[in-house]
Amino acid sequence: MSAAPLSVLIVDDELPARERLQRLVEELPGCNVAGVCSNGADALPLVGKLKPSVVLLDIRMPGMTGIEVARHLGALEAPPAIVFTTAYDEYALEAFDSQAIGYLLKPVRSERLAQALKHASRLRAPQLLGLATPELPLAARQHVAVRVRDELKLIPVREIRFFRAEQKYVTVRHARGEDLIDESLKQLEEEFAREFVRAHRSLLVAIAHVAALERIGDDEGYVLRLRDEAEPLAVSRRQLAELRKRLVSH
Amino acid sequence: MSKTGALEQPPDARTPRTTLVPPPRPTVSADPVGAPWADLRPDEFYIPDFCATRMVFAVVLIAELVAVTLALARSDAPFLTELARISMFLQWVGLTNAALLCYSRRWLARLTVPKGSAAVFALIALNTLVISELALMLGTAFGAVGITERPTQHWPFLLRNAGIAVIVTALLLRYFFVTHQWQKQVRAEALSRIQALQARIRPHFLFNSMNTIAALTRSDPKRAEEAVEDLADLFRATLRDSHSPLRLKEELELTRIYQRIEALRLGSRLDVRWDVGSLPMRAFVPGLTVQPLLENAIYHGIEPLQRGGTVTISGRVVSGEVEIVVSNPVAADSAVVEPRAGNRLALDNIKQRLDLAYGGRGSLEVEQSPERYQVTVRFPYTE
Repeated sequence: MSAAPLSVLIVDDELPARERLQRLVEELPGCNVAGVCSNGADALPLVGKLKPSVVLLDIRMPGMTGIEVARHLGALEAPPAIVFTTAYDEYALEAFDSQAIGYLLKPVRSERLAQALKHASRLRAPQLLGLATPELPLAARQHVAVRVRDELKLIPVREIRFFRAEQKYVTVRHARGEDLIDESLKQLEEEFAREFVRAHRSLLVAIAHVAALERIGDDEGYVLRLRDEAEPLAVSRRQLAELRKRLVSH
Repeated sequence: MSKTGALEQPPDARTPRTTLVPPPRPTVSADPVGAPWADLRPDEFYIPDFCATRMVFAVVLIAELVAVTLALARSDAPFLTELARISMFLQWVGLTNAALLCYSRRWLARLTVPKGSAAVFALIALNTLVISELALMLGTAFGAVGITERPTQHWPFLLRNAGIAVIVTALLLRYFFVTHQWQKQVRAEALSRIQALQARIRPHFLFNSMNTIAALTRSDPKRAEEAVEDLADLFRATLRDSHSPLRLKEELELTRIYQRIEALRLGSRLDVRWDVGSLPMRAFVPGLTVQPLLENAIYHGIEPLQRGGTVTISGRVVSGEVEIVVSNPVAADSAVVEPRAGNRLALDNIKQRLDLAYGGRGSLEVEQSPERYQVTVRFPYTE
């Protein structure tokens, strides 16, 4: 192992679990605990601040699950390696290639932990974005992470009014302004199919924020008006029928 | 027949236990709570008990039906006269055969199915020969009465009767055998259903507790030791035979043990308020009814909350029924995070066990508001 110690961030909502992991990591040569925290929302800024090499991430946590935390971390430029910890393998992580995703079953054995940390450099968060399989679709995130310099800013999905695809990025319009994210509109559409609907080729609108569907002029088609949003959004003819259906059923 | 057979009493039930889980009480038949599945004890022998009134009546009926068949087959004699004569004879044959089977059943039951069946054939054929011989003698003696007609040939009469007896016996044995097989299967299915319903503890809880204990072993060995003891008590209770009910006191004690283990893990996030002072602690309750409700409340209500919350457990007796209410806070976005399917499964399990134990007189209700999730179980108050 190199001279620089491997820094580890521990995220777990249970105190005994955190204490034990902390002790185990500290007992390993060449490893040190950079930080400890008890939930996902606190973990994200902490990763930005402490820049750990590895995050030991409990899966079942209140607020934001470990899986969601990992997906947000994937948005970082130099994301840390992720090793999931779970008491019971309800997420069937073994269904995935263990090379791509590190996970440890609690109570964690010291040798397993050492092994996982040794191989941790291979486990990069971006791979987690491709985590979903047909048998195990990922639950939709509750936040969308925006990278602001080295740190992550979280936007609650229910505050998002629409996603608009620009040339290279997707603009997220939300209650507190606008941000750019590096995700594809198609994937966003699939993930948030429950709350969002396509208005046209490059626009995904939150159904809950729609105030009205209006006809403009005689032949110029329709626009959507959103609550708290001055600008009307164009609707393509192709999407009109589907849009109407979703708005009515909402 | 003793009702506490191998089925109701696990081997370990005879060893001394703590006061927490007493051995099953011996009088299951007098027990208003645990009785429903007491009759599931399998009877291995396929020939029914001919000492039972029900079977004696069936024998009379079968003999009469055979008599009618034979009388109908005789075209050369008046039907009623013929029926009376044959009935008289066949009832004798039938009832003496029943008596023979009644007394020899214990001995027959020890044989294999083919040997036992052969023995039954032999017994019945022999008895029929004897009765036929007696009938011949009686017929000769009372020929003048007019209801007997003396057969002209001695041996053909005996052999014909034995032949008929063997054929009827073969049909009946086949019927008994098939019915017995079918009942065995029904029983096996009922048993496996009960076993499937046996209360279980979530693996999630087991492994989390193990993890907590692993952590405490070094930081707080005394508490680790207590946690192991608590976990052992809890698992003993879930491995226990689900047939015998618990006293409410024991069930609530188990629930508190469970709470203690969870508190180690969740710390100040878990707050449980108990209001069970007015419950009769001697009342019977199907084992593990309250504990899984607290487990559910913690798993779905407390764990998803960052700051935790309060579970309330309250109980009272309302018009002869014990009513226990467990309620927990609902996380604002729990519908998204936590599929409720697992929850329903656990509640359905409790509901079905209440149904089995009280035959529809127990109930489980769920009420949900945006803030709280509340489960109410009611069951008859029995001591």
